[in-house]
Amino acid sequence: MSDASAPAAALRLTALRKSFSKAAVDGLDLIVRPGEFYALLGPNGAGKTTTLRMIAGLLAPDSGGVEVFGVNALADPVAAKQIVAWLPDEPMIYDKLTPLEYLEFVAGLWSVPPDVAEPEAEALLRRLELWEHRDQRCEGFSRGMKQKTALAGALIHAPKLMLLDEPLTGLDAAIARQVKDLLVERVQAGASIVLTTHILEVAEKLADRIGIIRNGRLIAEGTLGDLRAQAGQAHSTLEDVFLRLTQEAA
Amino acid sequence: MKPGSLVWLVAHDLRLSWRRFAGMFRNMSGRRAGLIVAAAVACFHLLAWPAARWMANRDASGDMLYPAVAAGLLMVLPWIVSSALTNTTRALYTRGDLDLLQASPLNPRTVFAAKAFSIAVESMMATAVFILPVANMNALIGGAHWLAVYPALAAAGFAGTAVGLVVTTTLAAFIGPRRMRLVAQVVATLVGAGFALGLQAINIVSPETRGWLYEMAAHPPAGSLFDHDGWLWLPVRAFAGEIDALLAWSVFSVLAFLAVALGLGARLGRAAILAAGAPQVEPKPQAAARPSRRFRAGVGPSLRRKEWRLLARDPWLLSQVLLQIIYTAPVSVVIWKSLGPQGSLSLAIAPALVVVSSQVAASLSWLAVSSEDAPDFLASAPVTAAAVERRKLEAVAAPVGLFIAAPLAGMVVAAPDIAVWTLIFCVAASASTAFLNFWHPAPGKRGDVMRRHAQSKLVGAMEHLLALLWSLALMITLFESFWALAPIAIAGAVLAANRPRRATGVKPVASQPTGMTSTATSMR
Repeated sequence: MSDASAPAAALRLTALRKSFSKAAVDGLDLIVRPGEFYALLGPNGAGKTTTLRMIAGLLAPDSGGVEVFGVNALADPVAAKQIVAWLPDEPMIYDKLTPLEYLEFVAGLWSVPPDVAEPEAEALLRRLELWEHRDQRCEGFSRGMKQKTALAGALIHAPKLMLLDEPLTGLDAAIARQVKDLLVERVQAGASIVLTTHILEVAEKLADRIGIIRNGRLIAEGTLGDLRAQAGQAHSTLEDVFLRLTQEAA
Repeated sequence: MKPGSLVWLVAHDLRLSWRRFAGMFRNMSGRRAGLIVAAAVACFHLLAWPAARWMANRDASGDMLYPAVAAGLLMVLPWIVSSALTNTTRALYTRGDLDLLQASPLNPRTVFAAKAFSIAVESMMATAVFILPVANMNALIGGAHWLAVYPALAAAGFAGTAVGLVVTTTLAAFIGPRRMRLVAQVVATLVGAGFALGLQAINIVSPETRGWLYEMAAHPPAGSLFDHDGWLWLPVRAFAGEIDALLAWSVFSVLAFLAVALGLGARLGRAAILAAGAPQVEPKPQAAARPSRRFRAGVGPSLRRKEWRLLARDPWLLSQVLLQIIYTAPVSVVIWKSLGPQGSLSLAIAPALVVVSSQVAASLSWLAVSSEDAPDFLASAPVTAAAVERRKLEAVAAPVGLFIAAPLAGMVVAAPDIAVWTLIFCVAASASTAFLNFWHPAPGKRGDVMRRHAQSKLVGAMEHLLALLWSLALMITLFESFWALAPIAIAGAVLAANRPRRATGVKPVASQPTGMTSTATSMR
């Protein structure tokens, strides 16, 4: 239960656990603040994707709590999903739909009024340079175009919390730049973002705070300066810090 | 074998085919799988016994032997051609290892000749399963000359594949790779359905025509189309065990196949390259810079519209679903003819319509639930799983209604009472198979709609059982007997037994379609 006097965290994970054949997430406690860009880093199999899938309501935790802007996501998943967007590395789109039809579908699912959704769809597609392709089916799109379509879908319902799992995988530099710029704008507008990535430069440049997870547990958290101090490497890159901390925890 | 040679490539393809076949028994021990295969072989041989006895009688009397074999070939040859067409389009579009082979420094002609050979083997194996048991039993009863069916069938496989390859490459040349898949599938369907309808052809023609056909077949005038010594009857004589004819038929088939496989190898290669890069959508001219349509609100309309769009935009998929309608046509003919003088066409179509509606509903509901393109996306939307299921069911109902609307309308004019009962049973049958697929999702790709039961054989068996029960119930109802309640009760019991027991507070499950529960997966 969150403290009623304190401003609700954008995301609060409490002793979150999930096991498959072994523990994937092992008592994870995490808080993301409103308007914060939070990067969740970790080696392969650390539990990043499992964590995000539990927050998005795609996976049930074995125990623990998930709270999104004060809404208990396990007790009232529909209310939590209403303010959350989930964007995995594989774009979740329909090949036989056009980008505009896809956005109309997403807006319908999130009950965005048509008079709001339609201009927003146009703005997003123009911004992501997909407007010229709005009436073409996604099946002919490149991976980058599909990922941009999925991103537009994630943004059209103006989520307060965005969960991005390796959103830049396989994108070329220009498209990756477009996506990063759009994400930063959303954070500046008040949205919160939790992003996982193996591209540490992205986390270094974009994230307000960084969490490092290993074997389902948070082993370090803070700003880049905090992490450097924790690793005892005052002038190192995030890559050096990350490797040092994850090796220490091994 | 020299790596990269034709034989090496053929062996590679056949090994993959074998592993696909063996994959059907992946959860069984080798001994159990062997026992099942042996039981199936024994079963096919037992079923072939009456056919063999009948053929032995024709063989002994002599006069009707060739017409009987010819009738069999009229089924087998189109079947092989149809299989070859399907296998060729699948090889070109499903790709598999085609990209790897085309990127290798192998001669494309060798690659495609090997592919063609594998297609021929697969096509002949599809028919051999049913034909060879008959040949074996014939050999047991009527003499060893019936073993000539083995080489004759192999030759038929080569000849049929040659025809299939010619049709495919011709289609690719004239209509382009984008449409080729659909058109080739339709042609394969029509050829396959032609064989099914051909089975009943003798029952459809008038008694006078039938008598004339029998007379011509038994005592053909020399030089006519029915002359058993003519070239048209070469495969018939080969299958009947005439050595000269068998040699000629084998040489002709193998030469035709080699000419096509080697001669069209380059064309097939081009078709494969085009198929790989074929846009599956017509590029549209750039529209003016304005929203091209108005957004509409609501979860329900959004979900329904999405399902309908996905269906309407995949004509190949639709043709696969429609196959079931074509294959049900012969059933109507059989029922119609078996009803005797008092039989009416409405009475004959009604049970077939129930089967069609239930099968179409089953296919569409599988597409809507199990082959959902973005299950995680739907699961992340602020909509309950139950709401999504309900909307998807609604989306499935409309196309099923469309499929049966025209025949039902005809029935209303001809026999309104039959039409009303048919509508009621169509709704019941469609709902039951749709619910079955909603309760027991078996995730797969949309293109696998006709092979969906490979994952869930029990659900497939239940689907067919329900269709038959509702169809039977309708027939008995139309004959005004209370015995109709028996199949209805059994159908109800089947549904009740299959209904998943939902736990309260069902947890979402990763990467599974919305609405899937742990109990629902237990059947697979």
